[in-house]
Amino acid sequence: MKATQGTRPTIFIVDDDSAVRDALKFLMRSVGHPVETFASAQEFLNGYSDDRAGCLVLDIRMPGMSGLELQQKLVEQRAIVPIIFITGHGDVPMAVEAMQAGAVDFIQKPFRDQDLLDRINQALEKDVANRAALGELNAIRERLVSLTPREREVMDLVVQGKANKVIAGDLNLSQRTVEIHRAHVMEKMNAASLAHLVRMVLEVGELK
Amino acid sequence: METVGTETPAQRATRLEYEYQGVLDAMVDALFIIDARGTIELVNQAGERLFDYREEELIDKNFSMLVSEPYSVGQDTLEQSLQSGEPHIIGAGREVRARRRDGSNFAVDLSIGLIRGSDPQRFVGFMRDITDRQNAEDKVRQLQDRLTHFGRISTMGEMAAGIAHEINQPLTAIATYAQACQRMLADPSAALTPDLLQGLERIESQALRAGEVIRRLRSFVRNREVRREPIDPNRLLDDLLMLAQTDTRHHSIRIRLEQGAGLPLVQADAVQIQQVILNLVRNGIDAMSELPHDRRELHLRTRLDEHGDVEFMVSDLGPGLSEAAQQELFNPFFTTKPAGTGLGLAISLSIVRAHGGKVWYRPGDKGGACFLFSLPPVTA
Repeated sequence: MKATQGTRPTIFIVDDDSAVRDALKFLMRSVGHPVETFASAQEFLNGYSDDRAGCLVLDIRMPGMSGLELQQKLVEQRAIVPIIFITGHGDVPMAVEAMQAGAVDFIQKPFRDQDLLDRINQALEKDVANRAALGELNAIRERLVSLTPREREVMDLVVQGKANKVIAGDLNLSQRTVEIHRAHVMEKMNAASLAHLVRMVLEVGELK
Repeated sequence: METVGTETPAQRATRLEYEYQGVLDAMVDALFIIDARGTIELVNQAGERLFDYREEELIDKNFSMLVSEPYSVGQDTLEQSLQSGEPHIIGAGREVRARRRDGSNFAVDLSIGLIRGSDPQRFVGFMRDITDRQNAEDKVRQLQDRLTHFGRISTMGEMAAGIAHEINQPLTAIATYAQACQRMLADPSAALTPDLLQGLERIESQALRAGEVIRRLRSFVRNREVRREPIDPNRLLDDLLMLAQTDTRHHSIRIRLEQGAGLPLVQADAVQIQQVILNLVRNGIDAMSELPHDRRELHLRTRLDEHGDVEFMVSDLGPGLSEAAQQELFNPFFTTKPAGTGLGLAISLSIVRAHGGKVWYRPGDKGGACFLFSLPPVTA
């Protein structure tokens, strides 16, 4: 059963041409996608926040801030919303740039509705995966924060591959104490194995 | 003949008469001597040939039989001018339709002057057949019109990408609406009639939008007669905006429109003036092609200048023109564009000049190039 409207992913549409914008909104409604439209890149930036699930359908050529410039801004802000670019004829160089900057795909006008909807589905799947990954990272960080300073010290040395005896010597603790701390670390970090612990620490970039 | 020293007055008179006749007969132009009422007293050989009469047939006839339309100087007929005896009014060459013996008419250049010291007053008239000259002038005008027409086609070619984009937008909307409507129809149970109607309405209006773009393009580019009418300069700019935006939108350029209030009408061919403005817009777009998208602005302005003329301005924020380029700006075939014809400004210049206006360049206030042209107001 689908969750409430608020948690369904939204298709965000940015296009300066009101007819194209409206037609896309019409199409989204015909397949039941929640949709929001914006007449300019700036309008989108003002109205969007990164915690909203969905994807962005973006016209590559717009007056003022262009589609590529908006993409750049979003990259700078580390926004993860997946982008599908709408291009016209002769926009191939721009499309290439867009792809290199991380767009999910691009589609030329006029397009077949199914082609666009396929790409949107692709983008929504990517969004789900992105958010899951982001969620994972945040969970790891929270777990790290929950470690006591001493536990943290022990963990840093454990992931370097040092034996408990060596760690005890480095930190001037008894080996027994180190073993206890180590056990707490594994539990708090939810690590299934040393390898798992190392992977998590690597992922959040905390490997020293 | 004996030498001058031994000439008697009678011999001198005879010699001069022969020489005088010789001059008359050698002349290429037709010469008439007429009295104050236009009665012909003398015709030279060129006149006989031009009109296909012998001199005897013209003597004592009225000069007006040789002229096809009532010849007038200002409000006066020939007779009245001659009677007023003001040679300076009738002295300058005028184009007149003349009539030959067989009734055919042709164009001549006519000049009439008072024979000073003649009493009673007599006048000399010179006529030159200018058919060839007129044909040459017509030919030049035709070529000029053709070139101007070519200029519009060329501009349209440069705008091709923008035009394609402008038509593609409504097509995209139409395709999208149509496909969405088909999806809606796929579910017979859903009560979607209002939505479907809306989709169809939107399809219709987008099709008309595309049609309008095409109509304006065709109207602009077709070969047509020059037609000068009293025109509101701001209306002219408004009409042009759609075409101009076809070009500017595609290049992400903002148009700043500043239209002066209370401008007088100008006597102009709307399409030609729009052609000039569009050419300047085109140049402005090219000038700003290297600028970041959000800094591209074209300033279009109309205002009344100090002389009471209507001044049009197109200025951009591009790099402006070098001193060297400014010198050569309006020369035909001068261009700073790799694929340019170099004719746009030359054609624009000739159009504005033909309208009695001026074109000039100055550097913009914020760098960039500023092109201006003025048109005189319609005289009451």
